Amino acid sequence: MSLKNKLNRMKPHLSGKNLEKEELKRPDTKIEAQRQIPYLDLWQDNNVTVYWSDQEYCLIREVRFPLSFWQGKYQLGDCINAVEAWNKSSYSHPLSSKGHSVEDLFFFDTETTGLRGVGSTIFMLGYARFTAEEVIVRQHILTQPGFEVPLYMSFLENVDYSTLVTYNGKSFDWPQVKSRHTLIREHVPKLPETGHFDLYHASRRLWKHKMKSVKLTEVERHILEFERSDDLPGYLAPAIFFDFIERNHPEGMLKVLDHNEKDILSLISLYTHLTFQLLGQDKLQTSSESLEAGKWYRYTGDFEASSTHINEAYTKDPLNSKAVHALAFELKRNGSLTRAVELWLKVTENGEPREKREAALELAKVYEHKLKDYAQAVYYANMALKCAEDDYAFRKSSKEILRKQTEHRIQRLSRKYKAEY
Amino acid sequence: MRKKSLIDIIEHFQNDPDIQKQIMKWHTIEPKEAMYAPIPDSVHPGLVEALNQKGIGRLYTHQEEAYNSVMQGKSVTAITPTASGKTLCYNLPVVQKIIENPSARALYLFPTKALAQDQKTELNEWLDLADASITCYTYDGDTPATIRQKVRRAGQIVITNPDMLHSAILPHHTKWVSLFENLEFIVLDELHIYRGVFGSHVANVIRRLKRICEFYGSSPQFICTSATIANPKELAEKLTGKEMKLIDQNGAPSAKKHFVFYNPPIVNQQLNIRRSATLEVRKLAGALLKHKIQTIVFAKSRVRVEIILSYLQELVKNELGSKSIRGYRGGYLPTQRREIEKGLRNGDVYGVVSTNALELGVDIGQLQACIMTGYPGTIASAWQQAGRAGRRQGEALIIMVASSSPLDQYIIKHPEYFLENSPETARINPDNLVILLDHLKCAAFELPFTIDEKFGEYELEELLDYLVEERVLHRTADKWHWMNDAFPAHNISLRSASQENVIIIDQTERAHHQVIGEMDRFSAMTLLHDEAIYLHQGTQFQVEFLDWEEKKAYVREVDIDYFTDANLAVSLTVLEEDLSNQNDRAAVSYGDVSVRAMATIFKKIKFDTHENIGSGPIHLPEEELHTSAAWFTLKDELKNLTEDRIEQGLIGFAHAMQSIIPLHVMCDPKDIQLVPQVKSTHSQLPTLFVYDRYPGGIGLSEKVYQIGATIMKEVLQMIESCPCPHGCPSCIGTDPYSNSAKDDTIELISLFTNALEGE
Repeated sequence: MSLKNKLNRMKPHLSGKNLEKEELKRPDTKIEAQRQIPYLDLWQDNNVTVYWSDQEYCLIREVRFPLSFWQGKYQLGDCINAVEAWNKSSYSHPLSSKGHSVEDLFFFDTETTGLRGVGSTIFMLGYARFTAEEVIVRQHILTQPGFEVPLYMSFLENVDYSTLVTYNGKSFDWPQVKSRHTLIREHVPKLPETGHFDLYHASRRLWKHKMKSVKLTEVERHILEFERSDDLPGYLAPAIFFDFIERNHPEGMLKVLDHNEKDILSLISLYTHLTFQLLGQDKLQTSSESLEAGKWYRYTGDFEASSTHINEAYTKDPLNSKAVHALAFELKRNGSLTRAVELWLKVTENGEPREKREAALELAKVYEHKLKDYAQAVYYANMALKCAEDDYAFRKSSKEILRKQTEHRIQRLSRKYKAEY
Repeated sequence: MRKKSLIDIIEHFQNDPDIQKQIMKWHTIEPKEAMYAPIPDSVHPGLVEALNQKGIGRLYTHQEEAYNSVMQGKSVTAITPTASGKTLCYNLPVVQKIIENPSARALYLFPTKALAQDQKTELNEWLDLADASITCYTYDGDTPATIRQKVRRAGQIVITNPDMLHSAILPHHTKWVSLFENLEFIVLDELHIYRGVFGSHVANVIRRLKRICEFYGSSPQFICTSATIANPKELAEKLTGKEMKLIDQNGAPSAKKHFVFYNPPIVNQQLNIRRSATLEVRKLAGALLKHKIQTIVFAKSRVRVEIILSYLQELVKNELGSKSIRGYRGGYLPTQRREIEKGLRNGDVYGVVSTNALELGVDIGQLQACIMTGYPGTIASAWQQAGRAGRRQGEALIIMVASSSPLDQYIIKHPEYFLENSPETARINPDNLVILLDHLKCAAFELPFTIDEKFGEYELEELLDYLVEERVLHRTADKWHWMNDAFPAHNISLRSASQENVIIIDQTERAHHQVIGEMDRFSAMTLLHDEAIYLHQGTQFQVEFLDWEEKKAYVREVDIDYFTDANLAVSLTVLEEDLSNQNDRAAVSYGDVSVRAMATIFKKIKFDTHENIGSGPIHLPEEELHTSAAWFTLKDELKNLTEDRIEQGLIGFAHAMQSIIPLHVMCDPKDIQLVPQVKSTHSQLPTLFVYDRYPGGIGLSEKVYQIGATIMKEVLQMIESCPCPHGCPSCIGTDPYSNSAKDDTIELISLFTNALEGE
């Protein structure tokens, strides 16, 4: 049987389902290496220039924005104040740009054909930088598979930066750049070592409790008060690129460029906003935002900043049981046990199941070891157990461990109780 | 009670008339002396010292041969039975080379994670003794994210499995630059495991691996070790695409072995029903364990392991702490397994009941006795299991207890088949189109293809252009680039028969659904339909909803007293006949077929009594499978047989063939399937089809086509020698309608064999 027949016969077993469904009527043209750049005039109308390297080329779009340009509720120039604020602050934090000027920041985002692995090609490298007068956005565009040398060559020649600002770039964009760079590393300059502010992780920390998704567009809508109109959904970008390499028409790619540009400008506003949050300079900051900022400082080891923010969270809303709970831990750490007990008593009344459980457990410990009131300790140990039983979100296995520990605790308590009377 | 030694028990078994009666054959294998060679001078003194500290003052001859050949730059395949010191065959040259050149790298591939763990522990102990600062890591799903980067950059020896190589390492090869640039050795342990579909996949993964190595400028040597199979050199060469030096003269000693073939007594003469093998194993193992003879019991399924385990723990609970008899199978936690292995080595554990998980090279030391519950399916596998027993001093007892399956009964009555035949040939077909194309996609994802590349036997350009049409690749003047947003390795599993598996999700806990397993589509139709009872690690689950579109089965834990059994209606049509061998009375053919299967209804069957207590419909779409098949057609006029009787004969024939074919083509019985047709759709003649249960076929039915006559003769002999009067589960199947079924089957097969040989 001929190979062709076999292939056709095997077709149901061979093709993935997503491929079958999407039978677009794309012309079946094989692209020869072309001297002539298709639709060059159209590109040029959109601020795009051509970059040649040997017989291969990429395209570069450059657009300039004034510092007064509004992206959501901030002007781009506000970022200059943000960097200054870090330079004046004594807090240490992973997002701190202390020791940098705003010109050092390199706001960076890519568009790729897939989500992971060597085979995901980056077809757009976009970034923004500050100069004294304005913000320059530059985007490098891959024009056909295999023309990656000019893409990376132009990208690496053009830039001079020390710190990346990205949205999930730490685990996605930059590793992907490294990966594709490795494939052509003999033909292009080395990749520099860089610092990195990943605003995705920051957004997750601060807002994952109140937002279902912390996708950049969601953060824009809910935090930066910026609504995209007429924007291309990011997931369509690969399909547009596949279409572009077959038809060469810039139409779709211009939309991707626009989408990518918005992503990059939002990074600037988002960095400004996060800075003001973390330095307590946003008057509109909510109690729970202060709390999350405080928790983050605690995690990174700046206890002073942490304490300030958690107190702030409590002051802003004394009924926020999460803030009450966190403050209680803070007080316990500082030795103010009596205050801590007061706060935990509040939490056991109106906290969420998880806080209630933790508060009850803390109370049980305090009553047993510090206050030596074993009857109270048993009472709160039982309460912790009850809270665990009622909490559907609590893992069965963890529940089991807690049950064993608490039973153990109660037995010990009743021994101590009996010994006393 | 006086404690008996193994020798006493052997004597007792030989003399007790009740036991003696059931022993079909008592075969003794004489002990073999070790053959030694000195440790070669080129080995680093530190390593020699470390070997000495482990009590190794000289090498076995095969270890020395492996070392020297590897040092000469050859790729080698060493045949290494259980406990013959195979790890030194690769560890010694690899470590020596890394000491000479610390930037050199080695990649070890083991078929399972557990083996990789073992290997790392053993190797690190040795490296510590040698005071060699060589870094050796495992890289698998359990490797913590925090050390992954370190493994990728600095691991001199990286130990992993083919699945991980396929889905995590190769598609991210740019993170492994220092490994691939300096890769000098690839070690493939347990080579014989890489056969059939799995082996065909692995061969392609290795093609991809070699391609990546070439890109980074390395050209590694291969070092393979294998259990005894008929064609180790051929298999290794097919898997690696490298010429191999075969090392098959093993220098390790072996103890005197008693190989006993035990057939349980008949309890119902009329129906030829024998006492269950499980119960006989309980009796025999009990007799050994009572006297603290260290014994391993093999069982074929996980459930069977649990049953035998509970019997044995009960039996000896007063003599031994219950911790001293343990189960061992997939699904146990790694820590649990480590604890059991350690217990076996230091003697705390006397008895272990295991699936074939312990067939592989997990180090549990040498035990005194081995009992197999049923024939493990292949000669190679049986020898592997038997190899678990046999300490250097003393003797070993190996008992194979037959079940009533036709295959077991055949073996027990023809022990010479097992003892005298060479083990099976391991077959792979890396150029199966379905498998090949899957890996072509992965390979293109990893690096663009250039026009002058080779990958398998087909014309590459035609295949790549096919993928361009499918909008997976994009062709430029001289290259094919991956141009799709998918991650191809993700949808391709090396271990399962069909590409898209059904994921089994346990939703017993409301907030924490978890994936507990997966199953191929064909099996899922009958085992995971709505309301099916699915058994997993001895726990019953009921399928609440099978989402066929999304390929997900949602199950919930239940405790009920029945199981389900589904009906699968199968139709088969011939698409194209590629080969044929015929005369005017019969024909054997080989070609492409289409198999359509549809699940129709299921029955609920009560445990113990096996009553039918209800049934229900199954609503699933028809599934189609294109594969290769061999078929036997009878052209003789069957005057004296009615259509009913021909049908019965064919059903009996199919049943018997199903159990004998795996013997000859070295495959799992579920890799092949048989369909009898009284009037076949393509020739209107009585026909028996044998097809590969994998799209495109993996070469099994082709082999059946070649040796069909031999297989049939054996089937005939098996049925004729079965003592039952009218057919029984041990020969032609479970429910013969009439008393003539056995005779009809025999007549039919005789017609076939006469016709095929008659020229």
